[in-house]
Order: sequence, then structure tokens, then C-alpha cells
Amino acid sequence: MTFLQFAYRNVIRNRRVYAAYFMASSFSVMVFFIYSMLLFHPSIENQFIQEIAFMGMAVADVVLVIFTLFFLLYSLSAFLQARSKEFGILQQLGMDRSQLQRLVFIETMILGVVALATGIFFGYIFTKLFFMVIRAMLVLDTLPLYFSPEPFLLTAVVFTTLFIVISIAGSIFIRQSAIIQLLSGSTQSRETAHFSKVGAFLSFGLLAVAYGLVLYCLYEMNVWWSPVIILCAIAGSYYFFKDGILYLIHKLQRNKQLYWRSLRIVTFSDAIEKIRENARMYFIVTMVSTLAIISVGVVASLTSFANQYRESNPISVLYVSESGNPYEASHIDQLTSDFYKENLTYTLLTAPVTKQTSAATNRPVQLLRETDINTIAAVLKEPLIDLEPGEGMRFGQEVRDGQEQLIHLRENTIYFHVDEGYQYFPLPEAAFDGPAYILSDEDFERIVNPYLYGDWASSVTTVFAFHVPDWLRTDKVGLTLDREMIASYEGNQELPFYFDNPGLNYSYISSTFSLLLVTGLLVAAVLILAAGSFIYFKFYTNLEKDRRQFEVLRHMGLTNQELRRIANRQLYPQFFLPWGLAMLHATFSFLFLQAVWVDIAAMSIAMEMLIVLGAFTCIQAVYYLLIRWRYFAHLQLHTG
Amino acid sequence: MAIVTADHITKIYDGKVAHSAINQLSFEVEQGEFLAIMGPSGSGKTTLLNLLSTIDQPTSGSLTINDQNPQTLSAKQAAIFRREQLGFVFQDFNLLPALTVEENMVLPLTLANQPVEEMKERVDRLIQDLHLEQVRNHFPHELSGGQAQRTAIGRALIHQPQIVLADEPTGNLDSKASKDVLELLTKINRERMTTIVMVTHDPIAASYCDRVLFIKDGEYFNEIYKEDLRQTFFQRILNLLSLLGGNVNDLSTVRLS
Ligand SMILES: Nc1ncnc2c1ncn2[C@@H]1O[C@H](COP(=O)(O)OP(=O)(O)OP(=O)(O)O)[C@@H](O)[C@H]1O
Ligand SMILES: [Mg+2]
Repeated sequence: MTFLQFAYRNVIRNRRVYAAYFMASSFSVMVFFIYSMLLFHPSIENQFIQEIAFMGMAVADVVLVIFTLFFLLYSLSAFLQARSKEFGILQQLGMDRSQLQRLVFIETMILGVVALATGIFFGYIFTKLFFMVIRAMLVLDTLPLYFSPEPFLLTAVVFTTLFIVISIAGSIFIRQSAIIQLLSGSTQSRETAHFSKVGAFLSFGLLAVAYGLVLYCLYEMNVWWSPVIILCAIAGSYYFFKDGILYLIHKLQRNKQLYWRSLRIVTFSDAIEKIRENARMYFIVTMVSTLAIISVGVVASLTSFANQYRESNPISVLYVSESGNPYEASHIDQLTSDFYKENLTYTLLTAPVTKQTSAATNRPVQLLRETDINTIAAVLKEPLIDLEPGEGMRFGQEVRDGQEQLIHLRENTIYFHVDEGYQYFPLPEAAFDGPAYILSDEDFERIVNPYLYGDWASSVTTVFAFHVPDWLRTDKVGLTLDREMIASYEGNQELPFYFDNPGLNYSYISSTFSLLLVTGLLVAAVLILAAGSFIYFKFYTNLEKDRRQFEVLRHMGLTNQELRRIANRQLYPQFFLPWGLAMLHATFSFLFLQAVWVDIAAMSIAMEMLIVLGAFTCIQAVYYLLIRWRYFAHLQLHTG
Repeated sequence: MAIVTADHITKIYDGKVAHSAINQLSFEVEQGEFLAIMGPSGSGKTTLLNLLSTIDQPTSGSLTINDQNPQTLSAKQAAIFRREQLGFVFQDFNLLPALTVEENMVLPLTLANQPVEEMKERVDRLIQDLHLEQVRNHFPHELSGGQAQRTAIGRALIHQPQIVLADEPTGNLDSKASKDVLELLTKINRERMTTIVMVTHDPIAASYCDRVLFIKDGEYFNEIYKEDLRQTFFQRILNLLSLLGGNVNDLSTVRLS
């Protein structure tokens, strides 16, 4: 048996131990590869989409590599720790340090190379599917699968480097521990079995502060609290697993009436033991899971923002022309021909907006006619309004109690009461100067004198509202106008018109966000797999010990049913403790996120967040059932 | 009165080649007897103990333990039977690593949901009897082999079982600790009339018993009773072992204390 064979057999025979680690690393390779495929895609014509695709994928790739590096390092050190006894024996048998290091190096590289190959293979297979999803999301005409060496090379080079780095790190870990330490192996961890009461209270305190601050932010938002909250939550979680939870169980154990009751004595003590041994791992799993849930939550809340954007901009294409605008006719021509080219049907509605002066403030106000508003509302399927002479409505803003007013238009001595707002659809405020009001047709007819500080030519603005049922496809309409608008913002110059195409904006917003969502989901999947792999690994290394323990209990006369109950309860802390805390963290993060969104866009993300939390719970439940099934099979608890 | 009756029991392990670990074995154990079972490695001792402990069922033959036939019990009934009537001591102690000495000992009682006062009382008494006061709150990894095995014996006795089954209880102990454990078992056997069946390789350990049953290849080989001094009993055990084919020369000069 050569050295290489020995290393190879070690990996193959320990495959169960390595299974989850292997899966997580090859999944990470796969996702990285898929992103790279999009990154290097030769035929995305749309400049904008190409840019966001490129940026998004590049950032995701970097995040993935960094995370994978830490994941692999941590897993490796855990593996080596678990196998320390074996290494000790090998050294007692005369294997020298450098051989041992080589053994670890080769084993890690074997795993790495196989993971790399598997990841790229499945990556290429799933790229097609990924492209289909992306194509649908970005409303691209085609996004063909292609073959070019760049993605393969990038993935191979990056991950080979990564695996070499951690293989070297692995052999360094080994070099630093003495034989005797290796031989005593895991018993070491027991010496630090005692927890500190200070740490326990510190953890409760820190968590309370973090959650308290979040709740406080619901009332008074201040984004600068977030670093404090995050730090408190991280430190709090760390001490919670190191001391806090042990303290709680210890309290329970002191009460023998509670503790010395049937199976509890076994399950509690076992839980303590497992928590003590794995505190650091639970902490990491908690943090990684929280990160995964939050990242999905954030991108999901962005999609909610995209939907809301559409709802608040119901008019498909809007052109507002000031009186005397020399381009009006040519622009409208251009728009209609764009519609024609894109094969879109539309309804064009026009509404004049007249400028007058409010006697109270001596400032300009804009006036709309009831019928014009109702015509647009009818097309948008919004409710109609009915105003009597002398009544008016504030357009685009609500009128609170106490804010009712009587407005006197100086030019024509028209009086009207405003005690309600109109908010069924908005018109961009940027298009007008001064507040806008809706007048009854009768009052509107009475406007005969022009704006005090100008003539008729400068008192009337015309709104051209194009209603397009298939509004998602308007993204190629008015591109030149859009560019002119952007140029005028940048150059700070006044234009005699205003153009807005929410369909176009929406397509930018929604494709950016969808891309973010897919990216976020895949990265979160990598995180979740990694967290799962930590748990699986610990579970697996304890299996032999657990099996012996169950043998004793069986001798002692526990029925299979009772044994199953114990086994079940042994799994709970491993799964639901880090998970539960992560869920709690995520819930509070979402509360905070909600507060931020309320500040920005007065929008509720409750639904999205519930879905995200629910989805993660399902994933966790499935994972739990899977592991339980394997666990019971191992302990032979299924039969009888 | 016989508390265990084995009548032509056979245990066949199915495998690539079916292998009979116990073959047509018949014997009885009297109420209050301290029985040793000896035999070469692989002769089926552990298998036999597993049958007696109802963990495993014989392939054929009939077995009666304390008027019960384990073959007719359901898995659940068998578990409850073990819980109430049997106690176990293992070669490698098999203490639960996460429980302290005291907790390991009360474990069988908590399974039966005894009142806590009762548990405390019994565990206090046992801890005194077993001289474990100093290590009462220690975890198994903090115990010497002898202390660990005494704890295991405490665990086997706390629910006052009818029969204690021990598989090489002294196998991992030095001679002093072995002696303590064996004297303890003898004392329990005398004072409480607890029946003890002990598998052992050690003729010195066997010499503490009332009777030694020898098996070979899963079959009855011979049995001898202690009638006189332990020293002569020990010599007779050695003789039988050499008949069985074991190498006992190095032991034949041992003087028992
Ligand atoms: N689960 C099993 N499946 C198949 N064969 C088994 C099994 N358990 C034991 N055997 C076989 O049955 C025979 C008796 O085994 P047993 O463990 O009873 O021996 P033993 O007398 O206790 O030996 P030792 O003194 O070495 O402990 C052996 O040949 C063994 O290989
Ligand atoms: Mg044996």
C-alpha cells in the first residue's frame, strides 16, 4: 500500500463523515461556476443588464470565495480535531510529522479536487436552467448556453488555490499539536466544562440590549444604532452558547424534582454535554443561518419595493408639456411611432393643467378639471369623484383633520373648500410648480383670466397620459426622451417638458432586484448547506458514542419507544437551539428592516418576511427529519 | 428453586455462513446462586448473557427466567422486565459520560419514576456501601477503573433486581480493584440473596463463585461446585481450564489472599 493509496482509502472509508462537507464545498464551486458563466456571457446585448449582471455576479463570486475559505478552514480544523486520536496512534506507530502533514495535505487535496470536478460538472448542467430563470426575469429575448474556457478556468484556478491554501493550513494545524495532546483528543474539551455566571448574565444582557434597541428603533428610527445592535447580538449569541444556555440548564438540574424524572436525566445531561462540546459550532451555525435568512429577507423586501413602485406609478407613459413647448408635437409623434414599432396598443388621454395664484399665499397653484381626472381614473379602473361647485380636492396628498382650507384664486375670484385629498393615482410633482387641486367642471370653466404674472401661454401645462395595457413591454418607448431627461438632471437645465416611463424604470428596478434575489438565494443556499454540514459533521462524529450509550440504556430496560424519544430529544438541541436563536435574530432584523423601509417608502414587508421565515423553517424541518431518519437507522430504533 | 432454566437453547447467527454461537445448551441457576461462566474466547459467553438478558432471543430451545419466558414477551414487555428484574455490569463499565456518579446510579429509578425522596435515600446508602462518597459528583472520565466499576455495580443494584448479569466485570481492573469488586459482589449475593451470573476469563474471579459452568464452542463442557476452600476451588478451576486448552501455567502458583 503506497502512501497515496493510504490517504485515498482514508478519504473513501471516512466518506460518511466527509459527506456533508463535500456536498457544501462542491455546491459552493457549482454556484461560483454558474455565476461565472453569466459573468462571461458573450451575448447579453442590453448594456444596462450586462452591467448589473456583471457587477452582481462578480460581487457574489467574491463573497462566495471568502465565505468558502472560512467554511473550509473551520470544517478542516473540526475534522482534524475529531481524528486527533487516529493521528496520535499513527505517530505512536512511528509515522513522523512530515509524513503526517503530507497525509493531511493529500487527503484534503483529494477531497478538494473531487469537489471541484463535481461542482463544475453539475454547474455546467444547471447553467442552462439558471439562464432560463434569468432570461425570464430580465425579459431577455435569448440567453443561450455557450461554451468558452473562461468560466472553467476562473473556477478551477480560484478553487484550486483555495484548496491548496487550506491543505497547507491543515498540515500546519497538525504540526502544532503534540502526540500526547492528540491521543487525549476530545477529553480536553471537558476541562473547560465549567461555565461562568458572569458570561451567562452578560449574554442575557447583551441580547436584551440588542432586541431592546430594535424595538426602540421601531419608534424612533436611527440607522446608526445598527452597528451597536449587530455587535450586541453577535457577542450575546456567543456568550449565550458558551455560558447562558448552560446556566439555564444548570438551574433546572438543581431541581431534582424536575430533573430526576424518567428520561429527563438522560436527555438534559446529554444536551449539556453536547452544548459544552459544540458551543463554538452552535454560535457559528447561528450566525451563518442568520446571515442567510437576512440576506434572503433583504432581497425579498426589494422585490416588494419593485411591486410597490408599479402600484404607485400606474400611468404607463407620461409626457407633460409646458405651454409654448416647441418639441411637443414632434415628441408625441415620436412616442406614438415607438408604440407602433413595439406593436403596443395604447389609449392617449390629455388633461390641461392651469396655473393660478392663491390669494392667501400669493404663490402659484395648479388646477385640474374633475372630468379630466375621472377620464384617466376610469381607464386605470380607479373610483370616480363627484365635486360640487365650490368644492375642491388636494391632488396627490391627503388632507388631515384641521388642515381643511378655503382657497381663493385671485385672478378669477373663485373660492373653493378643500377638505379631502385625491390619491388614486399620482402625477409626478416634478412636472408642476406649486400644489395641485382638482376643481369641479363648473368652477374650472370660470377660469377665464390667465396667470397673474404671465399670459395664457404660460399658464397652461398639458398632461399626456398614455395608458398601455401591456405596460411591461414599454421599456423601448421614448428612450431618447429618457436620455434627455437624465441629461437635464445632470446638467441642471430646465426643459419645457417632462417625460416619465415607469415601465422602463420598472424593468430596471425589477431586473436588478430579481438578479439580486437569485444571487442572494443561491448564496443563502450555500450558507445553509454549510451550516447544515457543521451540524451533520458533529452529529456523525458522536454517532459511535451515542450508539454505545443506547446499548446500555437498552440493557437497562428502556423500550424502543422510550429510546426513540430520547434520541429525538438528543437531536433537538443540535438543530433547534442554533436555529431558534437564528430565527429570533432574523425576526428582529426584519423588524428593523421594516422600520427602515417605513422610513424610505412607507411600505410593509410583513408578507415577504413571513414567507422567508416560513421557507427557512421548512428547510430546517426537512433537514431535521432526514438526519433523524439516518440517526434512528444507526441506533436501530426503527424496528420493533 | 431454579430462577433460570435453559433447556436445549441454540443461537444461530445468520451471516454468509450460518454460525451457531450456542448449541443445545441446558443448565439451571438456583435462586441466590453466584454462578461463573467460563470458556475460551469465542465460545459464546457474551451471546449467552445476551440471551439471559432478553436483549436477544434463542433460535430454538426454551428459556425461563424468574417464571417468565422471554420469547413470549413483546419488545416492550421485555424492556420492562429488564428494567425491573435485571441488573447489568459490563467489562468497560458503560457509564453514561454525561452523568455524574450519583446520576448514573439513580438512572434506573428515574426510569421507573420513583419518588425523588426514595431515590435519594437509596442512592445515599449505596454510595456509602460502595465507598464512593468522595467521587459522588464526579463525571465518569474523572474516575479510576475501580471506582467506575463500583458505580456501574451501584447502578445495577439500585432497583434491587432479582438477577445481576455481569460480563467480565473485572476484565479492565487491576488485582486490587478486582478484589474489591468481587468481594462486593459476594457480599451482595450473601446479604440480599441476589442471583449473580458472571462471565469471566479470570480463574481468580471465578473462585469467588459458588459454581463455575464451562462452555466450549457454544456447548456444555463441564461444571464444578465450590465445596471447600477457595484455594482448592481455584486449583480445580485451573485444571479444568487447562483441559479446555487454555495456557494456565503462569497462574498455577498463584496464592489467593
Ligand atoms: N452479532 C453477531 N453476528 C454474527 N456472529 C456473532 C455475533 N456476535 C457473536 N458472534 C459470533 O459468535 C461466537 C460467540 O461470540 P461471543 O461474543 O459470545 O464470544 P465470547 O465467548 O463472549 O468471547 P470473548 O471471551 O472473546 O468475549 C463468535 O464466534 C462470534 O464470532
Ligand atoms: Mg465476550
